Amino acid sequence: MSVTKLAYYPGCPSETTAMEQEMSTKAVFEKLGVELVEVEDWNCCGAAEIEDPKLVHALNARNLAIAERAGLDIVTPCSICYYNLERANRALQEDEGFRAKLRGIDPSLEYKGTIKARHILDILMNEIGEAELSSKVVKKVNLKVAPYYGCYIGRPPTTAFDDPDDPVLMDKLVELIGGECVPFSQTKTLCCGGPLMMTRADIAFAMARKVLEAAKNAGADCVALACPLCGMMLDAKQPDIEAELGISIGMPVVYITQLLGLALGIEPNKLGLNKNAVETKEILGRVK
Amino acid sequence: MAIKTWELDSGFKDEIMSEPGGENLTKCFQCSTCTLGCPLTEIVATYNPRKIIQMSLLGMRDEVLSNPDLWICLICQTCTARCPQDVRIADLLSAIRRVAEKEEKAGRLKIESHRPLFDKAFEHQLAKYGRLYDMGLAMEYYKGKEGGSFFKGLLTMSKDYKDFGMRMFKKGKMGPKAMFPEKVKDRAVVKKIFAEFSEG
Repeated sequence: MSVTKLAYYPGCPSETTAMEQEMSTKAVFEKLGVELVEVEDWNCCGAAEIEDPKLVHALNARNLAIAERAGLDIVTPCSICYYNLERANRALQEDEGFRAKLRGIDPSLEYKGTIKARHILDILMNEIGEAELSSKVVKKVNLKVAPYYGCYIGRPPTTAFDDPDDPVLMDKLVELIGGECVPFSQTKTLCCGGPLMMTRADIAFAMARKVLEAAKNAGADCVALACPLCGMMLDAKQPDIEAELGISIGMPVVYITQLLGLALGIEPNKLGLNKNAVETKEILGRVK
Repeated sequence: MAIKTWELDSGFKDEIMSEPGGENLTKCFQCSTCTLGCPLTEIVATYNPRKIIQMSLLGMRDEVLSNPDLWICLICQTCTARCPQDVRIADLLSAIRRVAEKEEKAGRLKIESHRPLFDKAFEHQLAKYGRLYDMGLAMEYYKGKEGGSFFKGLLTMSKDYKDFGMRMFKKGKMGPKAMFPEKVKDRAVVKKIFAEFSEG
């Protein structure tokens, strides 16, 4: 295992709507012996709402600079934060003029471009690796799982760390912990609808419905994912989607770190499995 | 739609290409891969990014900037990943949205979508606190949606989010961390970033 310490970028929903992702991420990395040092006084990455690339790059220059001063690569459990951090990183590395401009605005924005931004799924599978993970698995997660990747794991090509059309890292992780992946390749990279949740809920709900119904039709016990906005749409909003569209889904949705944590023998409550909106009790009974 | 050649704005493509993200507009050779793969077209059948690009290249400035479809792109990046010409369509549409917002700011266009309002409300939370404050965002957005009335906004928000809020409360997700803003300590530098790079 090549990595022992990383700068941790939690992202804004980490203490509210996505607290179960935060809890499970910290618990899993502790169990794996990888120290996560929170980026001191981090600021928001800009999410999908800040559209001006220069503003996104400047906001993330501050986060990257803080991690760089600590001498650590930066890791985040959120796909959108990852995309913004790493695209800013690339842009800053290529543009000395912009780096100089930021230095001029405030010394704390001085970034040399020496680190990388990573997603936790990338760290788990490509740094810690399957052999190391397998050696720490103590329980079998005997579930049929629909691995859902959403947008920023395989796209856009500049920052992607998995295949754009048929990503596999989460599939492999599910199989490694004793689960079975249902056929889901037509759906796993669709968008959850999240960016339109507030402004065009009709479209957002239709997008999320497609993902949830595809998982149900494929016979999944749960959907596994790795992004808090996907979690918001597919889990937290699932009862609203059912009510609005007059349908019944009842599909448990968990973060991949919650499933991995169960396999590593971590207590369900330490993984926040009582925090998911759709009940997870039934799936817990299948972990032996 | 008949194209009136005398109404075309030959400078429109340069206007878009001068926005960050819009640089590769003229690389498009109209293969339509973006549109065929777009997951939104399965829900909104008329949605057609290829057409928006061609109209931009032709200089159909008013038609493009007033097109409501500009505001329903999910930025899922499927088009960008598949485009054989590296047009970076998701970024390009974002650049066109910013041209439209400037046009509205100058009083020459009325954008029907609430998305710019939402994005601005989001930006204001960041400028103020350095992090996203969900409640602040929702309150500002609903106020704007209800024509600037805080009270009306609050009512509509309560109606839309009553069940959701109760659900989050029961799961322990509506504690002080959700009710009050989490603030970055060094807000002075966040302020400097917004002063330099934000249109306000």
